[in-house]
Amino acid sequence: MAQLYVVQSADFLFLQNQTQMTPGNLSAHLSKLEDAGYVEVTKEFIERKPHTALALTKKGRAAFKEYRKKVKQFVEKLPE
Amino acid sequence: MTKEPNLKEIERRAYMAYHQDGLLDIFAGLFISGWGLGMLMDILWEFNFGAIMPAILIATVLPIWIAAKRRITMPRIGYVNFGTRGSNKIFALFLGLMVAGLGVFFAFTFATYQGGSRQWLDLIVQNGMLIVGFGSLSVCILFGYSMGLKRLYAYGLLAAIALVFGHFMGIFFAYILMVLGITVMVAGFALLIGFVRKYPLKGDKTIAE
Repeated sequence: MAQLYVVQSADFLFLQNQTQMTPGNLSAHLSKLEDAGYVEVTKEFIERKPHTALALTKKGRAAFKEYRKKVKQFVEKLPE
Repeated sequence: MTKEPNLKEIERRAYMAYHQDGLLDIFAGLFISGWGLGMLMDILWEFNFGAIMPAILIATVLPIWIAAKRRITMPRIGYVNFGTRGSNKIFALFLGLMVAGLGVFFAFTFATYQGGSRQWLDLIVQNGMLIVGFGSLSVCILFGYSMGLKRLYAYGLLAAIALVFGHFMGIFFAYILMVLGITVMVAGFALLIGFVRKYPLKGDKTIAE
């Protein structure tokens, strides 16, 4: 989600290269995020080749922001 | 251990992945050496090639660069749309440089009108290579910092050293431009070879399905 948070959209290959995950593993993650309504999948054609663009939905962005806030609060509460 | 995701680092890595293919260097090098070649052609054919060459190069090099990105980079590392945030930063930098350049130009013009002297113009012409050298260093530092491409610092430093050396040794500007352009192009090709080896094509499946 962090990878998609910093860009507007990206395809599967880009995410796989950036996360270093296996295709099966990444696909499973993305399916779960899509089912939760956090990731939007757009199928299009680029130079007559099928292309799948992935982007965070508004709900996904809000959820990730909330997650960051919670992690930050948690880390701040930890003793030195 | 759970830790807060470093978004700046993730964004930087995503951006870097897109510019580690060396294409930017190859085409920048082509532009610089082409400009130098245009200046040399001025002398040979007594036509103002040096002035029109940058426009010709931009018109030809830019579409090839975009096509090369589509044919070489995208099938290997995938497609990403950074949105307007990154481009806004670069555009603001361009705009800032243009405003600063115009400000300096008007300040000099105003000073000329006030004093009735064109000494500053002669000074610029006499020290053109030094001005271009230090200007290149500043521009490379600015773009290197804003784009996160550290190799631009090296290019800026190389340009400054070569142009200062050329100024004091009396070497023709066009030769220095050509050597600089070829050096940047060679570095770009080295990066491209490394990139192609690091990200080999995996057939049609690379266009994400």
